[in-house]
Amino acid sequence: MQAKKATFKERARAALADASLKIAIERTAGNAERKRASAVCDFPQFAAARERGRRIKDHVIANLGHYLVEFERNAIASGAKVHWARTSEEASRIVIDICRSAHARRVTRSKSMLGEEIGLPHALQAAGLERVETDLAEHIVQLADEAPSHIVWPAMHKTREQVAALFKARHAIPPASDLIPDLVESARRDLRQKFLSADIGISGANFLIADTGAVCTVTNEGNAELTTTPPPVHIVTAGIEKLVPSIEHAFALLRLLVRSATGGDFTQYTTFHCGPKRADDADGPKEFHIVLVDNGRTRMLEQGLGEMLRCIRCGACMNHCVVYRQIGGHAYGATYPGPMGSVLTPVLSGLPHSRDLPHACTLNGKCAEVCPVEIPLPTLLRGWRDRSWKEGLEPQTVRFGIGCWAFVARRPALYRLASAMATRWMRLFRNRGWIRWMPLAGGWTAHRDFPAPQRTTFIHAYKASRRENSR
Amino acid sequence: MTAARDAILEAVRDALEQSTRDTETIATEARMLLDDLDEVRPVLPLPDWVASFTNRVEGPKVGATVERIAEISDLPAAIARRLMEAGHEAKVTLQPTRVLKELDWPAAGVRLGDDVDDAVVVGLALWGIAETGSLVFHSSPETPILHNFLCATHIVAVHSSTIVPYLEDYAAAARKRGDPAPRNACLITGASGTTDIEGSLVKGAHGPRELHVIVIDDNGV
Repeated sequence: MQAKKATFKERARAALADASLKIAIERTAGNAERKRASAVCDFPQFAAARERGRRIKDHVIANLGHYLVEFERNAIASGAKVHWARTSEEASRIVIDICRSAHARRVTRSKSMLGEEIGLPHALQAAGLERVETDLAEHIVQLADEAPSHIVWPAMHKTREQVAALFKARHAIPPASDLIPDLVESARRDLRQKFLSADIGISGANFLIADTGAVCTVTNEGNAELTTTPPPVHIVTAGIEKLVPSIEHAFALLRLLVRSATGGDFTQYTTFHCGPKRADDADGPKEFHIVLVDNGRTRMLEQGLGEMLRCIRCGACMNHCVVYRQIGGHAYGATYPGPMGSVLTPVLSGLPHSRDLPHACTLNGKCAEVCPVEIPLPTLLRGWRDRSWKEGLEPQTVRFGIGCWAFVARRPALYRLASAMATRWMRLFRNRGWIRWMPLAGGWTAHRDFPAPQRTTFIHAYKASRRENSR
Repeated sequence: MTAARDAILEAVRDALEQSTRDTETIATEARMLLDDLDEVRPVLPLPDWVASFTNRVEGPKVGATVERIAEISDLPAAIARRLMEAGHEAKVTLQPTRVLKELDWPAAGVRLGDDVDDAVVVGLALWGIAETGSLVFHSSPETPILHNFLCATHIVAVHSSTIVPYLEDYAAAARKRGDPAPRNACLITGASGTTDIEGSLVKGAHGPRELHVIVIDDNGV
């Protein structure tokens, strides 16, 4: 499948050449785009709700220390154990230590992007634990030994035909047919006993409720509850930005999250987990651990990227991104793909390793337009470009090219002369209004024609019309 | 452990560079973010909450089935009818709550089992929410959470007097009950579903394949 290529450009080139990838992305992302539009259309208060959602997140971020302490106090009072982790390594180590002290062998996991971010799947495997991914898409990705390619639909890059081949090879009882319902049934059969025999269940958190110490998870499959109820231990890993003051604030954000993610109005299963099983409860875990993870979030606050902490991980920005729709999630080579990922990855893995990502953007503004918490994604991406320039990370050819352009652009007479000459030169290669080939333009014309310029430059035409009018 | 906690809280303080704000100011600000809720939530389609709820449950977004009965004593007969229509065996597993256990099931020809896995499970929700068509369960000795997730057919009864208009009304009602927060508060809105393969919706991913809701009309009682 997607070979592990070294650079973003190599990965993007390979993805562009993969015809079935484009079909797979179009089927899911296209669907998501249409469904979101219709959900927003049915909710005329969406704009006001979005503004409110943004204010709720900003309020939490501005008072993050207060809410962290309040959440911790209430979680402990409910019987939870609260752990703090500065880095991904620290977070994974805490989880592994809990697994070890519970003598766990089999661990079920309900999809969590934070878990992916801190490398938990790998850490569990390395610790010799049997890891069972329970979200259908994560199950597919685990069987294929791949990484998620989308934050809401991790197996978006797979066509049904590919999933069918995978399940036939890997499920004890193969699916009855290649039809999607039979594939879903096959996964249900394969996972059912694993849910019930796990020693530990690990989930993420969509929201952390400060005034009760509860953790909110949302799924449509019901796999979160099946992951977190049967085993004796439930571990939550959550980013510190997931806090909200109360359940009502979570509801306000859920109205935005679900519509923006899947175009539904509410997820099938919205569950609040507060502490371990009470003494007489019919079921539930005996131990409940919450790992609060920083991993770059306080650095984001410090570096002026606080707006990015509003993100509620709906995936709308990638579903609507013209670049993501062409290359899919794997090409980004990071946990978080698409526009939000291109803002986050430089924080998580350093700008020198990811400077291509903020450039893989047309700045068409679509992501900011659909973002349910009004994150100015294009502005943040431009901020990274700016830093990349200032820190000298841009390649020599780019610096030279932009240097030349800046030299000419700052000298109006020279600029006019150069553009007049370029117009004449380009017109030599035109054919019925289009340029199919031109020296030095191969990078463009290899894939599409270039529109031939007008006979004169804008300045020339402007002056001519002024002369005309003043007569 | 405490080193990490202190480091994170200190980093937050440093980054925000603000003098410690008092708890009351923060709480007032948080409360103001919940003002004028009608401007930021959908309008219910019908003036009657119960009708809005059933409308929602049957609508395409939730995609469940719904019926209304006059009294809770009619529940066994309604379920027997429903199971026959759907071609299921007349055997159910009850949520172990007194209200359900006391009903006369044999008279309606319904056998009781204790299998949960892939069974027909009958539950009684604490609340219904009209806005979303959700049913609420709180974990308790009488409410095993897994009953709601391991069954193949989920039949949920809810009293019409416990149907509230909005999500926030559920939060207020739960607070008013005064119980400490339960281990799990589950808002169930339809059968288990997935769109993970090509975005195409399939019911019965891990949990119930179908959800049937029975509203017991006890308003004004």
